[in-house]
Amino acid sequence: MMQQPATSSYSELYSAYAAGQLDPAFALLLETQSMLRRDVRGALAASEAVSGFMLETTEPVQMSAGAGARALELIDALESGDSVTATDFTGDAELACLPMPLRDKALEAFDAAGWQANAPGIRRMKLDVGSDLEIELYRIQPNAKVPRHSHGGTEFTLVVAGGFSDETGSYGPGDLAVKGPDDTHQPVGDPGEVCFALAVRDAGLQFTGIMGVIQRVLGR
Amino acid sequence: MNDTVTTTISPDVRQRHADCMALIASDKCRASFSELFDFYAPRVKSYMLRLGASALEAEDLAQDVMVTVWRKAGMYDRKQASVSTWIFRVARNRRIDKFRRASRPDLDADEPMLRPPDIEQPDAALDRVQIEETVRAELVKLPPEQLELLQAAFYEGLSHSEIATKFNLPLGTVKSRIRLAFGRLRGQLEPEGGDADT
Repeated sequence: MMQQPATSSYSELYSAYAAGQLDPAFALLLETQSMLRRDVRGALAASEAVSGFMLETTEPVQMSAGAGARALELIDALESGDSVTATDFTGDAELACLPMPLRDKALEAFDAAGWQANAPGIRRMKLDVGSDLEIELYRIQPNAKVPRHSHGGTEFTLVVAGGFSDETGSYGPGDLAVKGPDDTHQPVGDPGEVCFALAVRDAGLQFTGIMGVIQRVLGR
Repeated sequence: MNDTVTTTISPDVRQRHADCMALIASDKCRASFSELFDFYAPRVKSYMLRLGASALEAEDLAQDVMVTVWRKAGMYDRKQASVSTWIFRVARNRRIDKFRRASRPDLDADEPMLRPPDIEQPDAALDRVQIEETVRAELVKLPPEQLELLQAAFYEGLSHSEIATKFNLPLGTVKSRIRLAFGRLRGQLEPEGGDADT
């Protein structure tokens, strides 16, 4: 099974995340994993602490005259027309149990289009995170089989709840399965609990620059 | 020119900033807001300029970030992060939203990452304050050549190969220096030291 340790060799991934340069699909994947794994959570906390320190110690650039007063005026305008939007949990009750921020994205997608049946016991839902990559949430019932498939590119699958197994091993919450273009597999939901998994696919795109980091760091 | 670290703020001032956040959340305290504005708005503006915003955009974004700080102050938890780190996240997310706005007009300003994690198991609770303390303590000890690489990676968001080009260093050197520095920040004596949990 593919375990992704949170060692410092992944620092390129974490720095890209902290600096806001990671593709939104991968950012959501990493955020979700950090909710499931303490080591990843620690690495992200440390990375953001570095960024915060950099902001604090950066050479300030003077704001224009009266900027502070204008901010307070904006706040007054905001406060007078106050309408607090409460988070809406009327979606699928199951989805409300997913960790943030995945939960919001899943509920959004549920309201927009809902689940698509994929095979007996398998449902999936595309998420809209503003990425060019494909990002889908899978719901796999115990013992249900995902149809055997291969990938046009690399597929990263994070188990969010429950678990699944394929020819290469078993994956539980927080585990990331990485499949290359030449791998075919047939995941089966582990008995007992419904499995939720978040899959990001690059559809054969060859990443360059900071996005290449993902393929170099995870895709091996 | 060395534009990396100017001055860090003292623990007292950091405490005070956290108090300001609490007062904004509980009492809508305008004086506290102004104090935070005076410190952070010029730094957020500087951050936006560094990432390529025009002077006008940088100023607008800084205003926007500070208004968001006012609105979301109730989500700030001093046990989770310093005010600097929290405001950095607001700034980062505002910048990302701004770029995406063209295609996603209705994007909500509600940054999920600003909320405290909600499914942390008690036994796995993370002492984020301690993590941040370690990071800070180690950062100020780093030699300038490591610090500027971290700045390029964690603040400007450059990839290791972009950093190699920018600093005219071999890629392997960039990787090993950042790995070493990040390991130290995480309290590891050895850069690849044991991550044997889970």
